[in-house]
Amino acid sequence: MPDQHHRTTTGSPPTPTLEVRELVKTFGTVRANDGISFTIMPGEVHALLGENGAGKSTLVKSLYGVHQPDSGQILRNGEPVTIHSPATARELGIGMVFQDMRLIPALTVWENVALHLSDTPFALRPRALRARITETSERYGLATHPGRKVEHLSIGEWQRVELVKVLLGGLDMLILDEPTSVLTPQEVSGLFDMVARLKSEGVAIVIITHKLREVRQIADKVTVLRGGRTILSDAPPATLSDDELITAMVGEPVAILEKRSTSAEHATAEPIIGLSGVSVRRVDGDWGLREVSLEVLPGQILGVAGVAGSGQDELSETLLGLRQPHSGTVMLDGAIVELPAVARMRKAGVIAVAPDPIRQFVVPGMSAAQHAALWNAAGSYSFDTRKADADLARRDAAGQLRVVAGSRRMDRLSGGNVQRALLTLALTSPCRVLVASYPTRGLDILTTERTRTLLKELCEAGSAVVLISEDLDELLTLSDRIAVLAGGRLTGIVPAAAADRRSIGELMTGKEAAA
Amino acid sequence: MTVRNDEALAVAPPRAIAALLGFAARIPWKRIGIVVGAYAACFVAFAAFSAWQGGNPLTLVQTMLNSSMLNGDALVQTLLRAVPIGFAALAAAIPARAGLVNVGGEGQLILGAVAATGTGLALGSQVPGPLALVATAAAGAIAGAVWAGISAAARVWLGTSESVTSLLMNFVANDIMLFLIYQPWKDPAGSGQPQSRPLPGSVRLGTLFGGQLNIAVFVLFAVAIGMWLVIRRTGWGFALRVVGGNPEAARRNGLPIKSLLLSSMLAGGALAGLGGALNLMGVEGQLQPGVTTTFGYIGFLACFLGRNDPIKATLAALLFSAIALSGNGLQLVEGLDGSIVNVLLGAIVLTMLAIGRKNGERI
Repeated sequence: MPDQHHRTTTGSPPTPTLEVRELVKTFGTVRANDGISFTIMPGEVHALLGENGAGKSTLVKSLYGVHQPDSGQILRNGEPVTIHSPATARELGIGMVFQDMRLIPALTVWENVALHLSDTPFALRPRALRARITETSERYGLATHPGRKVEHLSIGEWQRVELVKVLLGGLDMLILDEPTSVLTPQEVSGLFDMVARLKSEGVAIVIITHKLREVRQIADKVTVLRGGRTILSDAPPATLSDDELITAMVGEPVAILEKRSTSAEHATAEPIIGLSGVSVRRVDGDWGLREVSLEVLPGQILGVAGVAGSGQDELSETLLGLRQPHSGTVMLDGAIVELPAVARMRKAGVIAVAPDPIRQFVVPGMSAAQHAALWNAAGSYSFDTRKADADLARRDAAGQLRVVAGSRRMDRLSGGNVQRALLTLALTSPCRVLVASYPTRGLDILTTERTRTLLKELCEAGSAVVLISEDLDELLTLSDRIAVLAGGRLTGIVPAAAADRRSIGELMTGKEAAA
Repeated sequence: MTVRNDEALAVAPPRAIAALLGFAARIPWKRIGIVVGAYAACFVAFAAFSAWQGGNPLTLVQTMLNSSMLNGDALVQTLLRAVPIGFAALAAAIPARAGLVNVGGEGQLILGAVAATGTGLALGSQVPGPLALVATAAAGAIAGAVWAGISAAARVWLGTSESVTSLLMNFVANDIMLFLIYQPWKDPAGSGQPQSRPLPGSVRLGTLFGGQLNIAVFVLFAVAIGMWLVIRRTGWGFALRVVGGNPEAARRNGLPIKSLLLSSMLAGGALAGLGGALNLMGVEGQLQPGVTTTFGYIGFLACFLGRNDPIKATLAALLFSAIALSGNGLQLVEGLDGSIVNVLLGAIVLTMLAIGRKNGERI
């Protein structure tokens, strides 16, 4: 299926699958791509590395015809091309899997694939198409169920369907936009196996990431973007150290947090919050949590791992007193609490970094200072915006997370700035329990490291931290214990010192820990 | 020549002018232009429609102004008419801060008038004047609050949409009033007309400045400013804005959402009830069918036009009151149907809806 006509002449160097020369793309006054050049050879895995806002997504969207570059050249197999639209890109043999996956949940897998393919006849032939899907799935080790509805798929399978869909279209260049951020370690290695298979067939693969580990694992070349410019072009990653790559991404060296030395000295402390046999129903009637029992201990970081939607949000909402469990008991300082009891938990010093700040934290029309006033009021009616404004500046000095000025309207800020404002409030508040959901999601490396340091300091000061994260490295670095959720069940709580990516990954897929 | 040009460039403008320029730059000229243009377009469209109906578009504006603002009597009428509309607008504006849609201003006005009639007739001749006056107005406010409270309670505990229930309860309120004036409260001296007995003088609002103007207008303005301050300067007002802006954020901050929703609707209902009572005590004097004649709905539109801001909503109520009254002039002078002003009113509301959406604002 992959087009291999580029392997023509012997002796002379092979023609690049794609060459980008001095590509410029501006949005208003923002130069998202400011003269980017790099080259992708056939059968090469090329990592595009950079922070949020470095211009990676803009660049690949130009390659896939979503954006039209303002200037610069794209050469396809040595020929200059203009990619007017994603349809043009597909005709040229370029496929892309987007970060926000583009399937229609109400349709089945094969129907989604049929929508995507340009050679779908007017009268659908489901059986033939399903056979093609199965064949491609098997060839690349992508387990899919063509007859199932997309809304019932796990995120990993959802992504495999995306891949099958794109592969069926026929391609010799594949773009993957941050494909690993939603996957379990096992699914990541499955994805990388598929990448290796495609590579052996001569397909060129561009993979966007900000994880150095992945660059080292699969990339043949790396191009680093920063502020819309190419800082490093077509470099073999083996010749570069981690520090060199991070400095290229950030512009300055960043001290990466060392793994915390954990000990069992707090193990005898009284738990602040204890769940026993807690089950929570979701709005759609499914179980969010099933029979979960765990203890939140002072001076400890309890990591919570799991693929997206395994019950993390239900767990954090239960700890915060936002939900009424279907069954089971929640204890606060040894006494049973009837939930929901938001105000009571808040008064007891339980605070949160909300999993979805835009939806759960930002009040449209209100300034950052007003959000600080709301935070400081802690459920009471005494809001003092002026005092909160000064307080926010003081918190910023303590937190060093570069929060925006108090007068800025929160609903007009970028996701990263909203997150920094929320983190500044949460991480500089005296508290007994901090339930932090995905605190470093979408942050640049500097802020991520600063956030992790603050979490560590909070824990050293004796607070309990519940760290819910999709980043296993983060959990392994910071946690004392790691609780793993799969499908709402607690499949294990393991000491971080004894855990590794593989063992956590197995628990994430639902295999219970050996008692 | 070039030298002088360079010099001119190098000389900074005097500070006063610079300040003025800075101030001018901060005025949203584009926005003002859009709004003024939109109003102008509405008037042009209305003039064209009037011309089609046989009016004279050139004298139209003059006639409208004459019959609503440009003479003392007309201005007083506009101000008096603005009382029920303005209070109904405030009744929608306060719950709107908490994200609630109170379409029940009409019914709350009616029940305010009903309660004021009952109280005024019962107390007017027995209790000392000022006390009876206050009790009558208060009864109206309480009745309006109770009526709105039913919709709010249904929303909070049963999850029904308050916009639907409050709208439907307008018809119930009207039926209650009709029942009372056809049956138990019917004026024996009313020559068979369905109307209540007139309120005794002790519970009527006295006129001011030798005309028909009464204190209700000033109460409206005071309440509007008061509500503006309450929304901006009190914890309750702040909490309402949080609930209205993002209920999930309010929940996560431990704010008592149910009591905030209830209290905002109760406050709104009380304002409409007060408006109904004051209109009755000041202008109508007795309960009769059509005591509100859709003031509640016009007030709702005024609140919308004022973007849920108490002061802007009250100003919009004044504008709508003036437009409604200018219908009289059009009927008398231009020979048009008086209700033609509803075309202008509708055009303004629709245009504001359109440009509001265009600027990506929440409505």
